[in-house]
Parts: sequence; structure tokens; C-alpha cells
Amino acid sequence: MSIAAIRTLRGRAWQIYEQMGMPTPQQEDWKYTDLGRINAALGDNWWKPAVPERSIPSLGADQLEALAIPDLDAWIAVFIDGRFQAALSDLPEGIDFAPLMRLVIDRPEQAASMLEVDKRMPLFNGFVAVNSALATDGGVLLLKANTVLDRPLLIRHIATRSGTAHIRHSIRLKERAEAHIVEHYCGIGEAAGLTNTVCQIDLAAGSRMRHDRIQMEQPCHYHIGRLSVTQARDSQFESHSVALGAALSRVDLSVELAGPGAACALNGLYLIDGRRHADHHTVIDHAVPHCTSREHYRGVLDDRARGVFNGKVVIREGAIKSDTAQSNANLLLSPFAEVDAKPELMIYNDDVKAAHGCTVGRLDTRQLFYLRARGLTEADARQVLTFAFADEVLASLKPAPLRRFVEHAAFSRLFHEEDAEEMLT
Amino acid sequence: MLKIENLHVAADGKEILSGIDLEIPLGEVHAIMGPNGSGKSTLANVIAGREDYTVVEGSVRWRGDDLLAMTAEERAWAGVFLAFQYPIEIPGVNNVYLLKAGLNAKRRAQGLTELDAMDFMALVREQASRIGLEEDFLARGVNEGFSGGEKKRNEIFQMTVLEPSLAILDETDSGLDIDALRVVAEGVNRLRDPERSIVMVTHYQRLLDHIVPDVVHVLIDGRIRMSGDKTLAHELEERGYDWVKAEVGGA
Ligand SMILES: Nc1ncnc2c1ncn2[C@@H]1O[C@H](COP(=O)(O)OP(=O)(O)O)[C@@H](O)[C@H]1O
Ligand SMILES: [Mg+2]
Repeated sequence: MSIAAIRTLRGRAWQIYEQMGMPTPQQEDWKYTDLGRINAALGDNWWKPAVPERSIPSLGADQLEALAIPDLDAWIAVFIDGRFQAALSDLPEGIDFAPLMRLVIDRPEQAASMLEVDKRMPLFNGFVAVNSALATDGGVLLLKANTVLDRPLLIRHIATRSGTAHIRHSIRLKERAEAHIVEHYCGIGEAAGLTNTVCQIDLAAGSRMRHDRIQMEQPCHYHIGRLSVTQARDSQFESHSVALGAALSRVDLSVELAGPGAACALNGLYLIDGRRHADHHTVIDHAVPHCTSREHYRGVLDDRARGVFNGKVVIREGAIKSDTAQSNANLLLSPFAEVDAKPELMIYNDDVKAAHGCTVGRLDTRQLFYLRARGLTEADARQVLTFAFADEVLASLKPAPLRRFVEHAAFSRLFHEEDAEEMLT
Repeated sequence: MLKIENLHVAADGKEILSGIDLEIPLGEVHAIMGPNGSGKSTLANVIAGREDYTVVEGSVRWRGDDLLAMTAEERAWAGVFLAFQYPIEIPGVNNVYLLKAGLNAKRRAQGLTELDAMDFMALVREQASRIGLEEDFLARGVNEGFSGGEKKRNEIFQMTVLEPSLAILDETDSGLDIDALRVVAEGVNRLRDPERSIVMVTHYQRLLDHIVPDVVHVLIDGRIRMSGDKTLAHELEERGYDWVKAEVGGA
């Protein structure tokens, strides 16, 4: 495998994009998410990289500090506008975390396998193809068998300018390895940009991963994200996918339970206001017997915000003794807010445990009255109930500084800062 | 004094209360008894400010304030407290947070400074132990996973922390065993004060053995049909509500 071969691979990916184009609302998976807003904001060449190759964007220390997650003791990898920032990163020794660009030069074989475009991938679309064609940066983490990453790895993605950041991460845990990955997406400024990120996770037998994805980009920013997970025997995967920011965001999360005893727990929260749009599509594939999946997504939609949740669970014919439970609950805070929620269970054998529930509602008037009868103002009572509803998802975030940070980010958006503070204690 | 005049209340287009007149002076405990469905909870909820009911006619004044013109929270700040017949579960909202927010909102409305966190916790711990609520209840969600008896205790616990001047207890006795009933009654009796009025809604006289009322009213089909002293409760227990109907010759 040579650099030339990678060039060929990228060329092929680009061709696929040219054939497929951007997804359109005519496609079943994109029925509720119209990408016209991205075209309008970024133009036909929406994919143009935000930062030309080899130039290094910079950000002041105080700005970096202001966007940080306070008190989170973590290894850090920083990407600004899609470019890896080695000088700002703090990575463990002996851990193989290589930026993609270097990988292409040092180990093209590995880079090629990472950039492979596979149209059979669940929810495959033009964004993934463009990502394969254009992503120059991303983190590659390989944990050897039986190693435990001692601290969470925080991957900071900071958007500061217009144009698109194509990012490609690949994380592989060998047998019984353990890691906690936090993908944080944020930004500064008013420029309309796009984050197009793909993260592939490969969990070998008995390995365990926590993965938290916190998206709180600027209101003028767009976000297309993908997480593809493959799980071998007895591996465990627990994730939180939180969408608070961006004008429009779409996250596709797919998990293939490919070895018996594998288990995943997917948690999600979309809490948006204004005219924001947040779309979560998930696919859990029970490919083999004896796997467990749990999924719990909640949405809070204020003003004219629109949420989309589509949770597909496939249980294959041979996947007996599968155990799956999915729940999606939505809270509409305004008469103009909207949500399109769709659970999709596709079960091809009888020997399974499957449960699902999906609700769309408003605040409970009896609960509101109870709180007001105890002296809370109506506004406070609404805040408290909204907080309680959303926090069901955030309460399992660990460690404490991460949970506190996300709760703050979520609730200071809807509430006065000091009220959020009170409720969190 | 609580003064209710000619109160007519409807819900879903149906009249539930049909002209209630009631006066409860400061310092007194009044019991309101009546069969199921007679409108006792409706009366209690309308006083506390629940919005699902339509007040068709009449007035409710507490110490001169026109309660019907006030929101539920303003009534709470004016000293009104309702112990619910069916306390609702609010998962994820911390019990102590609710009390602190409620108490401080009331203090702000009264022009007082907010309680300092230490003093507040000391108060909460003392009242919880008096009412027999374990500390771990405090850290849980409001009524979340509580048994029926625990929910009722929690209502009384909240009442003793918030120290209302008008306490309305809606069937707080139902679902309580004898020991719990005694604890709850002690909580209410501690609150008896020349500056407070207490309304006890019940349809058994059991609770009234522990909290002796000054006056007993009988509510049937949305109207007060009879009032008397504590012996009326015993009479009702023996002779039932049909006797009252026959006596007043109505309905
Ligand atoms: N919110 C409501 N909407 C419609 N009907 C109601 C409502 N609340 C109470 N009612 C009706 O009013 C009557 C009195 O109810 P309630 O006040 O609960 O009686 P009690 O507490 O004396 O048992 C019942 O027939 C009940 O069904
Ligand atoms: Mg009742």
C-alpha cells in the first residue's frame, strides 16, 4: 500500500459523492432533515475545507480556556477547524494516538483501512464519502490488549471560521482494553461553517468503552456527525450523544453487535431552542445471539425548534436470546416546537426480549400545580420540571465535572444561570 | 379568617360546588366531612388555586386577601398550604430543593432575606426526624417511589417546614396505619396556633380523635348541609350521611 493507493481510494470516494450528492428529503432517512439550509449558508462547494492544508489556525489561550471543560482530568487532543493541534494537545506516552495526516505517510496501510468507503455501512451517505475523500486530520487511537486508559481522552473540536472541517477518527480497543472518549464540539464567532465528522470504533472481545459526544456549536454552525461501532464478544459500549447547539445537526450512530455477549447502552439528549434542528438516527444491529442493547433518548424542544429521532433495531434471524429496550421521550415547551419520532423494530426471530416506548408531551399540569402550591413561580416550576426531564439522560454522565459541565451548558440555555446552579446542587 | 361566600364551582361544564358559605376564624381547626364525590377535594383545590376549575360565582378571602384573584404561588406566599389527597410523584426534582425554593420564594415575597443553607438544612432535618422520615428521603425525588403512607408523611413534613397560616389537609388520614396517624396528628397539633387556621377534610372521624376540631361541617352534593361541634363527627360515624340528608330534607 502506497500513498498513491490512498490517493486512488480518495478519488473513488469523491466519485461516489459526485454520484450520490448530498442526501435529499426524498430519501427515507432524510425525510425530516432538509439540507437546503447548509447549501444556502455554505454554497454548492459546501465541502471546501475551512483551513487550507498545512496552514495552522490559532486561538488565544484565553479563548481556549473559556471553551474548556473545567476540572475534567483528561488527556487532550485539540482540533481547530478540523486541524490537529499537537502543541495544544496532551497525550499519554506509549499510546498510539496519531493524527491521520502522519498516518498517511508513516503507515498508509492503516490509513487506507480507515478511509475505506463501504457503501454497505448503515446509513451510508454522501457526507461519509466526502469525508473519506477530504479528511486530512483525525485521531487514531489503538489500545493494546488488557490496557486501561487511565484518564478519559477528551477530543476538543473547535470551529472558528467558515468552511468545512472534515474529521476522521478511528479508535480500536484490543481484547479487554478500556477507555473513555469524550468528543466535544464547540466554537466561537459568527461565521457559518460545517463540521463533518466520522468516528469509527472497533471493540475487540471483552473490551469496554464509554463514549460521550457533546455538541454545542455556535447557532450559525452546521454539524453532520457519524459514529460507527463494531462490537466483538462480551464487549461493552456506553454512549451519550448530546445535541445542544448548531443551527442544524444530524448524528448517525450505528452499532453492530457482532459477538455473543456484547452489550451497548445508547443515551441521547437533544435540547434545542430558536429555530434549531437536531436529528438523531441510530441503528442497532443484533447480528448474533445473546446480545443486549439499551437505548434512551430524550428531546426538549422550545420555540420553533425541531427534533428528529429515528431508532432502528434489527434482530437477525439467528440472533436468538437478544434483549433490547428502547425509549424515546419528547417534551415540547412551545406550541410551535416539533418532533418527528420513530422507533423501528425489525425482529426476525421469536426468541427475543424487545421493548420500546415513544412519547411526545407537554409539561404535566398536575406536577406544575403541585410545585406552584409549594410556592414556586410558574416559570420556576416549568424550569424545574424541564430540568428533571432532561437530566434523566445526563445523570449517568461521568465523571462529575463532565456531568456538571453538560448540565450547565444545557440548562443555562433555557434558564437563568443562577437558577441552573441551584437545581444542580 | 378564611371567609368563603356563595362559592359556585364547575368543571367540564358540570357544577360541583353549589353555594358554599364558610367562615374559619384564626386559631380554629375545622373539619369538613362528607361522602365520596361530594366536592371536598374540589373545595380544597379551589382554595389553593388549581386552575382546572371554573369559579362561577362567589368569593374566597383569607385574612382580607382575595384569594381568587391570586395565582397558586401567590396564595402559597400568603400562607396557604394544601396537603394533597393524592400527592403526585415528580421524579428528578429533589425534595429538599423543592422545599428550599418554596420557602425562599415565600420569604422573598414577604420581604425577608433567604434562609442560609445551613439553617435551612438544620430545620429540614429536625422536622424530618419529628415526622419519622428517614434522611435518605430528603435526597430523593419528590414522592418518587414513596409508599402511600410515606407520601402523606411527606405532605405533613413539607407543611411543618413551610409553616403555613392556612393549612388545608385533604384526607391526610387515609392509608395511614395507627402509628403513622399519630405522628401526622402530632405534626398538625404542633402547628395549632392563635395565628393559624386549619381545615381538615376527611370522611372518617378517626383522625378527629387525635386532632380535635372546633367545628365540624358536613358537605353533601356541593353544599354545606350541617355544622356542629366535635360530637357531630361521632354522630356521622354512627348514623351515616343519609341521616343528614333526611334531617335537612334536601337534595
Ligand atoms: N377536574 C375535574 N373535572 C371534572 N369533574 C371533576 C373534577 N374534579 C372533581 N370532579 C367531580 O366532582 C365531584 C366531586 O369530586 P371531589 O371534589 O373529588 O369529591 P370528594 O373529594 O368529596 O370525594 C365528583 O363527581 C368528581 O368526579
Ligand atoms: Mg377527595
